[in-house]
Amino acid sequence: MIKQTVWTAITLTAFFFSGCGQTAPTLDGTKGKNNFTDATEISGDTVTVNESGEGGGLGNSSADGFRSVYFDFGDYSISGTMQSKVSADAARAAQTSGKIKIEGNCDEFGTDEYNYALGLKRAKAVKDAMAAEGVQNGRMVIISYGESNPVCSSPTDSCYARNRRVDLRLAR
Amino acid sequence: MRYLLILLFSLHLFAIDASMKIEKDVEHRSRIAVIDGSDVMNGKVSRIFLSDLKISGHFLSDGTVHKGDFSGSFVPPGLKGREYIVKYRYTNPNGPKLEVRLLKASDGSQLFEKSYALSNAQKMPFLVHKAVYDINRILKYPDIGWINRYVVFSRYTAPKRSEILLADYTFTYTKVIIRGGLNLFPKWADSAQKSFYYTSYAGLVPTLNKINIYTGSKSTVASSEGMIVCSDVSDDGGKILLTMAPEGQADIYEMSLFTGSKTRVTHFNGVDVSGKYLGRSGQIVFVSNRLGYANIFKKSIGSGAVSQVVFHGRNNNAVDAHGSTIVYSSRESNNAFGGNRFNLYLSSANGGTTRPLTTTGSNQFPRFSTDGKIVLYIKQRGGSSSVGYINLESSQSLLFPLGGRKIQSIDW
Repeated sequence: MIKQTVWTAITLTAFFFSGCGQTAPTLDGTKGKNNFTDATEISGDTVTVNESGEGGGLGNSSADGFRSVYFDFGDYSISGTMQSKVSADAARAAQTSGKIKIEGNCDEFGTDEYNYALGLKRAKAVKDAMAAEGVQNGRMVIISYGESNPVCSSPTDSCYARNRRVDLRLAR
Repeated sequence: MRYLLILLFSLHLFAIDASMKIEKDVEHRSRIAVIDGSDVMNGKVSRIFLSDLKISGHFLSDGTVHKGDFSGSFVPPGLKGREYIVKYRYTNPNGPKLEVRLLKASDGSQLFEKSYALSNAQKMPFLVHKAVYDINRILKYPDIGWINRYVVFSRYTAPKRSEILLADYTFTYTKVIIRGGLNLFPKWADSAQKSFYYTSYAGLVPTLNKINIYTGSKSTVASSEGMIVCSDVSDDGGKILLTMAPEGQADIYEMSLFTGSKTRVTHFNGVDVSGKYLGRSGQIVFVSNRLGYANIFKKSIGSGAVSQVVFHGRNNNAVDAHGSTIVYSSRESNNAFGGNRFNLYLSSANGGTTRPLTTTGSNQFPRFSTDGKIVLYIKQRGGSSSVGYINLESSQSLLFPLGGRKIQSIDW
């Protein structure tokens, strides 16, 4: 009786697992047919373009006597402690001529376009604050570099804080 | 003995759920084995074959490439239980050549035979992709044309420096298309993948350019102070969604490529970015911080009403759409000390259930395949990064390691 039960269980189990297989899709007439061909469909060489010599400007800090303005995590408002730097930058702007490039930067926390938009909001905040201190809007050009322009790369909050900044320089 | 029978019966009961789950998972997949008949086995070719079969979602291999003969109809007895046998022979005397045969496992009869050749050895992965694409097509499974497509991506090389590259989906093949400068946000301009848009930082203000990858010819499409990004291209290639900031505010615009006219789609004194067409519905989804944090919203292009799409998470800062289906990344830790953990979620722009796609590491840059069945993403875990793929129907997933340089943006 026990032996019979065990064999029945084995048979049922085998039958159960055989159900896991599935029917193959139906083919129409390609069985055994030799359609050996040399395919040339994967072709076409792509180019490499070198833009190393094209502008863009390097430098990941303020220059020409301007000072960088720093921001809190995820924020684009100018804190009280940073207001004095904005005032100093406005004073420096008054001593110079030509366009001033205001570059917004972010830490690495963020993806895709959102981080670039955040950098832009920071640059815009500095531009507006400078305008409030008398710098002509037409002299200032803003641009966001997102997370592309870090001053450091260590995974520490002090490093992240240094990357959440706006740099200023004279446009060339 | 009674206890033994009770134990066997109990084990059987517990096994039912697991078996039924497995049966459901493999319901639509064919059991297949791969035999390498090359004189010298090539590990890369083998791995790509197995990856292609797996991520197609239509085949169930044993995860091994067997060594055997190429020409005959002999099927090793151990492989007779499969439905199909793929035999291949890879040679590289004057450029890579791949010969492929598809046999019926039960009797060794041939269903398909073809050879694939290239002059450029670097593009070997595309030979395998094309072969698996053909096998899938011959067996009348749903199209997997995405397997043959290029991935275009940008990566940082130094502060304010980047390069834009092409890759096959496994990243076994990579080639630099634009070297040097700061060039970001590549986006395919046409379904045939002849050109892509990208943002150039060569001038005082960012410029959106279009480049033909075969001729290198470039044209300027638009420029904007602050930032400009091509976020999406309409199905017919006639319109693009841009994130621009002509007045210092990032908003979404739609540009007609026939007339050059731009229509402002969003008006918000904050951040509106990453507009994606919701099929041909005249609607878009986008990322906005209008609730004080990054989240996913939708609106019609021609009307002002904006509605929230995602009601989960507090920092959802990237989205992609295919039809009305959306995939978005959500930052699970929302402060500077909380690590950089992002997970991907699948949902609908019209409401309904939300399905988590990832649970570990940092998962970003979600992108649908052209048919919406696969999601590509970049995973960071520990000090390494990988490109990942999730087949939404079969739940099969793959990860391919990337080099150390940080990916900036990606499109498929």
